[in-house]
Amino acid sequence: MAVLFDRQTRLLVQGITGREGQMVTAHMLRYGTAVVAGVTPGRSGMAVAGVPVFDTVAEAVAATQPNAALISVPPLAVLDAVLEALTHGLRLLVVATERVPLHDAAHMLAVAREAGATLIGPNSVGLICPGERVKVGAIGGEYPERVFVPGSIGIISRSGGMTAELALMVKRAGFGVSTAVSVGGDACIGMPPAALLPQFMADPETTAIVLFGEPGTQFEEDVAAWYATVRPPKPVFALIAGRFTEQLPEGTPFGHAAAVIRAAQGRPSAKIAALRAAGVWAGDQLAELTEFLAHLRRPLLQLTEAEHA
Amino acid sequence: MARLLEHDAKVLLAARGVPVPTGDAASTPAEAAAIARSLSGPVAVKALVPVGHRAKAGAVRRCADPVDAEKATEALLGQSIGGFTVDQVRVEAWLPATAEYYLAAFFNEVTADVIVLASCSGGIEIEPASASERLARITIPAPFAPLPAFRARELWKQAGAPSALLPTLAGVTQRALAAFFDLDALLLELNPLIVTDQQHVFAAGAVLAVDDAALVRQPGIAERVVHGLPWRPLTPREQAVERLNQEEPYRGSARYLELDGGDIGFLCGGGGASLLLFDALVRAGGKPANYAELGGNPTERKVAGLARVVLEKPGVRGLFVAHNVTNNTQIDVIARGVVAALQATGKLPPAFPVVAREVGLHDGVGRAIFEQAGVRWLGEDVSLDEAAALMVSLLHEAG
Repeated sequence: MAVLFDRQTRLLVQGITGREGQMVTAHMLRYGTAVVAGVTPGRSGMAVAGVPVFDTVAEAVAATQPNAALISVPPLAVLDAVLEALTHGLRLLVVATERVPLHDAAHMLAVAREAGATLIGPNSVGLICPGERVKVGAIGGEYPERVFVPGSIGIISRSGGMTAELALMVKRAGFGVSTAVSVGGDACIGMPPAALLPQFMADPETTAIVLFGEPGTQFEEDVAAWYATVRPPKPVFALIAGRFTEQLPEGTPFGHAAAVIRAAQGRPSAKIAALRAAGVWAGDQLAELTEFLAHLRRPLLQLTEAEHA
Repeated sequence: MARLLEHDAKVLLAARGVPVPTGDAASTPAEAAAIARSLSGPVAVKALVPVGHRAKAGAVRRCADPVDAEKATEALLGQSIGGFTVDQVRVEAWLPATAEYYLAAFFNEVTADVIVLASCSGGIEIEPASASERLARITIPAPFAPLPAFRARELWKQAGAPSALLPTLAGVTQRALAAFFDLDALLLELNPLIVTDQQHVFAAGAVLAVDDAALVRQPGIAERVVHGLPWRPLTPREQAVERLNQEEPYRGSARYLELDGGDIGFLCGGGGASLLLFDALVRAGGKPANYAELGGNPTERKVAGLARVVLEKPGVRGLFVAHNVTNNTQIDVIARGVVAALQATGKLPPAFPVVAREVGLHDGVGRAIFEQAGVRWLGEDVSLDEAAALMVSLLHEAG
């Protein structure tokens, strides 16, 4: 996807010498990503899979001119790593680390926004563009081609694992993936689905988009609101999981403010209703995704609520 | 969100300059009486359970003297309130209030900022804000900085507080917010925030919940956090899985939620796939006995441990093992762990049906291990929904 990243992306890996960092770097290189440098304070002079390691982002930038960063450092070091990357001009950041403290996540999202940077994550498995053979992050593992075949379906998923499972379903249906993005499993993320959709809509490689949503947040509701006003030309299918959670007990609200918070809880049934009302094909079964994909083969101009109700 | 009991909340707040009524925690009626004796005048005896609306549940008692406090404690200990059993109470000075105010701060996940609410109509009757209620509100954007005194005064002015009280209220608000940021809090509620006849302000009620992900950098808080679900404490099986997870904290994750009844043991992952798979089982007419999530790259020991817990719940007649196609999680490790658990518990196919839809890293080896144990292995030509439906029908046949 030309807007976010492509063959020209020069990637810096922060935390490259960690177990995760080393493995992901080797897999990305094998796939075709241009990983130009790594940063781990104290490990300057080392190399990981032939990639030079520096103590600071400043040195790495001066030596190798990366234009994107994958952040794979421990949770309490993530905010610092993001600030360092932004300070030295990096404007596309993918944060893989999970369990980043929420106060830190809020801080880094605010600073990234202020800098006009695109921050994907935290808790993101990454992004992949099979047609360009480029990936950032652990997505697809060592052999992404097993699951991610080139094609025209965009995938935006709140679940890292489901990004791959959806790609598999797309492959089984005889299609392929234009770009797949794991936006992160947390409530506070840098690029929610609604922020990414316009870019997929503008991408000439993409003809349809598949979303994966879960309970919580207002992300899917925001997609519905955007879709209803924009009436985009490309069809969207939203798979929303976790309906059963609506049957679980809630317990007494922990204080009055908790009741206020609960009002914006994001139940799957409400998400599906909002999406359908906006004209998005939404459901909770993989069989519906298969049906959606089958429809794409037919000479339909646009899928509407009436056609799939 | 990790909840703290009111006593621990007050200890933490008091250490950071937020005024609270003097008091301490008691586990026996005798201890309660001793605390009451050390305080002069009437005391409040409050059941320490991590739920709201305790006053309405009769879990807050005003006691005129130590004998009263002892009796109240005896009555409260052992009671079940909001799903939790009372094993401690807090005994503190009952301060006469001329007014009851309300102050709260919470982390708003939707906007990744902090909302502060203030009202001069606090107390146990406060309910979700209606249009007529004078609930003042300010937003603190990230990056979070200490709240300036003037903004705190503006907040209380907006809430309708008397001019003379503005400086005091502002000071308490600043210190409460400083504590909020210092503790990685997600929710802090002081209700009632009482005003005495001497025009002093005290947090008579305190609710505090903090970010679990931040506990690693909050020494002293982790031990005080209440482990439980919002509606009940953890069951022994759930506690066993928590311990299992803590033993190897950097090797994958195991989560287990015990459900009432059900006959399908649920051993699935990652997070999103587990949600989808549970929905699919229910839709196919199945009754899972638990929810679980096996994530990351767990060791065989962790897989076997979680599988054993799932299998050992009474009433489980079959096991459903499924993941999204994996790129990091090793299928052979999962297979070995699951088979070890099946053997250890004696629950073996075909009498005990087991379905494993496991595709991904090392799945060739994993498949062999599963099939050798009689497990019905399913590959990438079967979708997650189809696998769930198959599990339900297999169990139905076996039944």
